[in-house]
Amino acid sequence: MKRLFRALFAAGSSRAVPPVVIGFFFLLYIGIAFFTDETLITLMTFTRKSLILAVLLALIPLNSVFRLVRETIRFLRMRSALSGKTKEGVEEMFDEVVEIAVSATAPALESRLAAVGYKTRRSGNVIAAWQGISSFPVRLFFLAGTFCLFTGILITTTSRSSLRKMVVEGDPFPTQNGSGGTVERITLANSTGPILSRTLTMEVAPTDSGSRKRIFGLYPPSRHDGAFIYPRYLGLALYLRFTAPDMPAGYEAPSFLNIYPPGKEENVVIPGSPYRVVFNIPEPESGSERYISYMSGDITFRFKLLKGKDVLFTGSVPGGGEFVRDGFRLVLPDVRRLVVTDFIKDNGVLFIWWSALFFGAAGVLWLPIRGLFPRREMLFRFDQGVTTACSFADGGARKHAGVFHEMLDMIDAKRVETPVI
Amino acid sequence: MVAVKLIPHILSWAGIVLVLLRGFPGRRSVVTLTSISGFVIGVTGTFILFRSYPGTIPFGIVKSALGVSFLFLWGISVAVIYRSTGRGVSIFRGERLVNTSLCAGVVACLASMVAGAVCACRLPATDSTALTFILLALAAGALAYTLAYAALAFDKLLSPSYTVTLTGMLVAVVALLLCSSSSVLRLDLFSPLSMKVMKGVHDFVHQFMESILIPDHLFVRSYVWNYIGLLFGKEVGFWGGMVIWFTPAFLIALAIRFERLPSVAHIRQGAQRRTLLAAAIAKRRYRLVIPVLSVAVFAAAAYQSRFPSVEYWDPKPLPVTASPAGEIFIPKKGEIDLEDGKLHKYLFKQGGREARFFVLMTPEGRLTVDLDACAICKPDGYGQAEGSVICYYCKTLIPLDTVGKPGGCNPVPVAFTEKSDGVVIDGMALINSWGSTVQATARVKEGGK
Repeated sequence: MKRLFRALFAAGSSRAVPPVVIGFFFLLYIGIAFFTDETLITLMTFTRKSLILAVLLALIPLNSVFRLVRETIRFLRMRSALSGKTKEGVEEMFDEVVEIAVSATAPALESRLAAVGYKTRRSGNVIAAWQGISSFPVRLFFLAGTFCLFTGILITTTSRSSLRKMVVEGDPFPTQNGSGGTVERITLANSTGPILSRTLTMEVAPTDSGSRKRIFGLYPPSRHDGAFIYPRYLGLALYLRFTAPDMPAGYEAPSFLNIYPPGKEENVVIPGSPYRVVFNIPEPESGSERYISYMSGDITFRFKLLKGKDVLFTGSVPGGGEFVRDGFRLVLPDVRRLVVTDFIKDNGVLFIWWSALFFGAAGVLWLPIRGLFPRREMLFRFDQGVTTACSFADGGARKHAGVFHEMLDMIDAKRVETPVI
Repeated sequence: MVAVKLIPHILSWAGIVLVLLRGFPGRRSVVTLTSISGFVIGVTGTFILFRSYPGTIPFGIVKSALGVSFLFLWGISVAVIYRSTGRGVSIFRGERLVNTSLCAGVVACLASMVAGAVCACRLPATDSTALTFILLALAAGALAYTLAYAALAFDKLLSPSYTVTLTGMLVAVVALLLCSSSSVLRLDLFSPLSMKVMKGVHDFVHQFMESILIPDHLFVRSYVWNYIGLLFGKEVGFWGGMVIWFTPAFLIALAIRFERLPSVAHIRQGAQRRTLLAAAIAKRRYRLVIPVLSVAVFAAAAYQSRFPSVEYWDPKPLPVTASPAGEIFIPKKGEIDLEDGKLHKYLFKQGGREARFFVLMTPEGRLTVDLDACAICKPDGYGQAEGSVICYYCKTLIPLDTVGKPGGCNPVPVAFTEKSDGVVIDGMALINSWGSTVQATARVKEGGK
């Protein structure tokens, strides 16, 4: 059982797992690309539907955890070996191991190592020498980042659900259980931030006396009922009344128009009639704010009235106003702001955000450590007239090897002075 | 003329044989024989394939073989870099098998078959008589024999210190195959790779932004969006393609560079240690020569693909007008013969708006009217080469028999009526189709939202 566990751990923590899994998905991507232009979306759909693909993808975060454990154990064992506490299996942690049949003079070795910039520690029959900073924390961040990234991708790919709803001023906030409070105000304003040019806030009144007023912004997106509130597009909700000479009874109903940016056209089809009204918001004068109508609430629609394919006439009508011509009447008594919003249930997003932090930290630490202070270690153990010397270097290996060889020569020189009998 | 066109392909194959001879120094006779036979099989096999399946299938098969060899190289390069950078990592357990005559023969035969197939794709279409076939086989055999023995003689002149690792050999073989194929328009891998990278990056960025809920462009500062927009341009496809193209060669070179020097800690004479290390470093440098040269060969292949010597048929668009009923009529015969199999471009202007389109008779004898633009790329238009039209923006080749079908990088088809004396197109529909297509592709350029 123990052997099986070890074998599984060795396989699971192998460095080969991520490139093999990524390579497999890459080949799958290439294969799909032969058949469709929507390659990435198709691959994501396959992964969502296929348990085998999902398990395969899960091997990468699993491997990160195994590697994290393995590298932590190695780091602790190395520390223990350098402090002279561990003697078993020390050799396999180093790049080079040499045995010389002579016992060194410890103080001379220590002073020489110190002279070439190594810190030393003597404990019992062991001298440890080291220089630079261990890259272990960087590896820790990197592996944590890999874990979070691929866990995030796995969760997002297999369990993300998205629901598109209209958040309308004055209407209840559209939640799944219908418990949302009234949307008191939607505000679009200019921003002075370096990334966002505009801010958008949706203020929702408390549903009962115990709850608080909630404000949903742009980024980072807030959560409501476990779903991220992701504002996508701006639009207008209007109440429309329409009468024509051949339909005196008229028509009246609310409509939602995904009508921004200005110039974008949206249709309202009058049911049971050949009529169709095509609305758009005119572009403001050049140099002025493009979304000024949405910001101020002072909205004038431009419209075309069509009967079948024929344009009967065009005109303008302000929010709250009406347009009358040739027996046709178009009234917009109520116009309100709306935001086309996606309600996204996806816990993978949090993991992806965390991965960005971990990778950022790893990158910031790795460059100076690897470039300026790479870790180099030596260990000398003296046992019954034999010196075992071990060496390890993260970077600058040739310079480190030169010092190591010099130390070995120094130890060996003692043999010439006092030959081992 | 054909002989001149064949020279680079034949030289590439000779280069492949030379590299193989260096890579398998103890298997020279096997490599020589299998290379010659592989080349002849490649040439004659492809010749038969072209006669059996005229059209795009033979090109597809040869291109797939090239693609597989490039993917194989990628896999090997990742494996070797992992082996050389990891402590105690063992990946290749079958190295002893790799050095056998069988392996040497198989590698030489396969590489030469593909090289021979690429050469055959350059041959002009002729009647498939038995005599033609026999003559072709004999000519290919004689040529291969001469060149293989020239490569063998050249190999004997080279110093034994110029050793080649197995991975170095592989990268050189694939580089030479791709360099050879990049001058044949329909076998070129670099341009389609760039196009796929462009599309892949676009999809990835779009999905990534949706995944981490980045606000839409209306909320983001335009300069930030312009930076994001850089990821959607064809330059990203080109540079991304370059990265994918060169990475295997660089990884193999790096793997050789990162090879650990032999342990000399047990040697107590400093001079002996230094001598051994210097010899190991020199040997490592020699082994780097072939991968570094391969980078240059890959660069030549990319250059040929980017600036092909093919001249495209790209006529200047002729202005056309619509009748009072809004119909555009283009006669079949006259100054221009619509049924000559060539692409004929037209420009229609109306009320400050314009649309560019072309009329083409496909090899199946079907007339088609299409916008001079596709639904994906910037409307840079199309040119016509042998058997295909090319999208100037992304360099994708569209086989002539698929022109008129919607989707991908195909030109957007336009509805028309074919009459006995010409074709009739609705002017308003044409203008609207152009407007919506150009608007959609401009949106892609601006950020794909």
